[in-house]
Amino acid sequence: MPAGERYHDRVAGWLTGFAVLWSLLGMTAGVYIAAELVWPTIDFGQEWLSYGRLRNLHTNAVIFGFGVSALMATAFYSVQRTCHVPLFAPGLAWFVALAWQATLLAGGASLLAGWTGGKEYAELEWPIDIAIAVVWVCFAVVFFGTIARRRIQAIYVSNWFYGALIIVIAMLHIVNSLAIPVTWSKSYSLFAGAQDAIVQWWYGHNAVGFLLTGGFLGMLYYFLPKHADRPIWSYRLSIVAFWAFTYSYIWAGPHHLHYNAVPEWVQSLGMIMSLVLLAPSWATMVNGVMTVAGAWEKLRTDVALKFIVLSLAFYGLATFEGPMMSIKSVNVVSHFTDWTVGHVHSGALGWNALITFGTFYFLVPRLVGAELHSTRLANWHFWLALAGVMLYVLAMWGAGVSQGLLWLSLDEIGELSFSFKDIMASMAPYYALRLVAGVVFLSGAVLMAINLWMTVKGRVIVRVAPPAVAESAA
Amino acid sequence: MTFLSPWRLARLTVRPSEAGEHLAAATPEAHDVILRLVLPLSVVPPALAWIGGATFGWRLGGGEPLYIPAGGLALISLAYFVALVTGFVSTALVASWMAGTYGARREFGAHLAFVALVGMPAILASVAHLAPHAFVNMLLLIPALIWCLYLLYRCLPAALGTTPEQGILMASSVVAYVLVAFVSLLGITVVLWSGGIGPSLGV
Repeated sequence: MPAGERYHDRVAGWLTGFAVLWSLLGMTAGVYIAAELVWPTIDFGQEWLSYGRLRNLHTNAVIFGFGVSALMATAFYSVQRTCHVPLFAPGLAWFVALAWQATLLAGGASLLAGWTGGKEYAELEWPIDIAIAVVWVCFAVVFFGTIARRRIQAIYVSNWFYGALIIVIAMLHIVNSLAIPVTWSKSYSLFAGAQDAIVQWWYGHNAVGFLLTGGFLGMLYYFLPKHADRPIWSYRLSIVAFWAFTYSYIWAGPHHLHYNAVPEWVQSLGMIMSLVLLAPSWATMVNGVMTVAGAWEKLRTDVALKFIVLSLAFYGLATFEGPMMSIKSVNVVSHFTDWTVGHVHSGALGWNALITFGTFYFLVPRLVGAELHSTRLANWHFWLALAGVMLYVLAMWGAGVSQGLLWLSLDEIGELSFSFKDIMASMAPYYALRLVAGVVFLSGAVLMAINLWMTVKGRVIVRVAPPAVAESAA
Repeated sequence: MTFLSPWRLARLTVRPSEAGEHLAAATPEAHDVILRLVLPLSVVPPALAWIGGATFGWRLGGGEPLYIPAGGLALISLAYFVALVTGFVSTALVASWMAGTYGARREFGAHLAFVALVGMPAILASVAHLAPHAFVNMLLLIPALIWCLYLLYRCLPAALGTTPEQGILMASSVVAYVLVAFVSLLGITVVLWSGGIGPSLGV
């Protein structure tokens, strides 16, 4: 190891800060649009405040702002420690961190201005899409460059998941964004009709798969053993689960297109591969649960571990519910209802947000070499998060199943029993409950932001040297 | 055992520390718990749902209430009863299976009694079924379910003889099972609807 060599942790620290800010912005936008579904006039006639624009801001801010910034932070932090080398091209890593924020700011502004490509989770227009692709390729260069220079022969499993995230998201984003620009703010997809729908949901579902699942599994596989202070329960199972997950996820997208104008066999294949996906998903859950079960003493001192334990419970729920909802006879009732919204949020709040919160409570004190400012606040955050996500999911299950049943109900002469307008008007109480759930969850995130800010205030990032590597490990 | 009565158990739900101690001191037989707690408790929600549904019809929103014919209503209530008994027993089975991992006591009877205690607030809140409006039911059942969660986390370590830390882990694993079981029940119900069993749907 060259003398004076240090890990580049400042970039991970800044990305963590950006992720916290995006979480507050994105969740606030979510709460606001939840309120708009209860009181539709609170857009005050302003286009930029309308549901159609703020909803896109909400999803982009939480997925790409909060989620991806957190993934970049933890990937940069963990790849150095699992390879025992500092980041490759640290200047480029700073470019990735800052350019990603600038791109998202521009993207958010463009969404509020009404620029949209009209594809879900891929609304951003072509200039922003190109910027995303450039930043993402730079992310890949830093990450894989660090792995290429590693001093440990084996590539730890978290890096497999982060690597899959980087490669697959690049592939999905570039292919799905292929478009013919018309003006700076408008382009048309290169694909048309059913092909466009298939490409879009190949992208959409695998963004869920490789970003919101695979990427965060990378986070889990590095930070859970660190929290627990013991190795992962079965390393072999983690590798088997990785390859099974990678192979099966990529096929599952067409389950978003059941009963649409795509071939029947494509829909059925999407359903079958979704069901197959349950095996690798739950293999990871079992691995996580058994790892933490052997380290229960840590819960006495490590409040963050509670978040990770609970995130595994919701990971189990979301990865079971998803395949179940892909079954066509379930999907015929659940599709287009709020059941889907509840499912997405059981994953997004219960799995993604909770594991990230747990990771931040672990990471931030270590980055600045201090204790967490307040364990009590973190405990409050835990209970608010649990209450918020439970309320949210229950409200949306109630609304979704009611919608599915009422939309399809026939009277004795075979006509629809209820009008769509009346059904939706009757959803207001559920939406009010969802609003309460969002406020509860958001208030927990605010407590976290205060807690982390008080932890880092007046401190600097600790400079850590890579450990010496034994000859046998190299 | 003194707590093997629905009335006594209902009182214990508002005294969590006492509830944990009572259950810790007891070694109830599984068949006793099933006969004296699980079956009587499981009868209450379906009976209330049957009375409410037959008298007022279910209002899911969207206009006129849904009146289900008496035969169909009885069948749904019976299915509800079976689902509740299965839910109590399967949760206790899963919890006693997990007990070895989390250093808790393993007797099935103790787990059944604990699951009955945890489920009690939801059983009490099922009085909402007498007013069969979906949202009214949610409004009463959600706080009750939050109380169930509180009892689960609060009482598990004492009732099942494990440390508070392992109790948190085990309670979270039980939550995962219950959520998955509940969503499975939703899925099975919807598959039955799609197959023509239950309400008349245009699928």
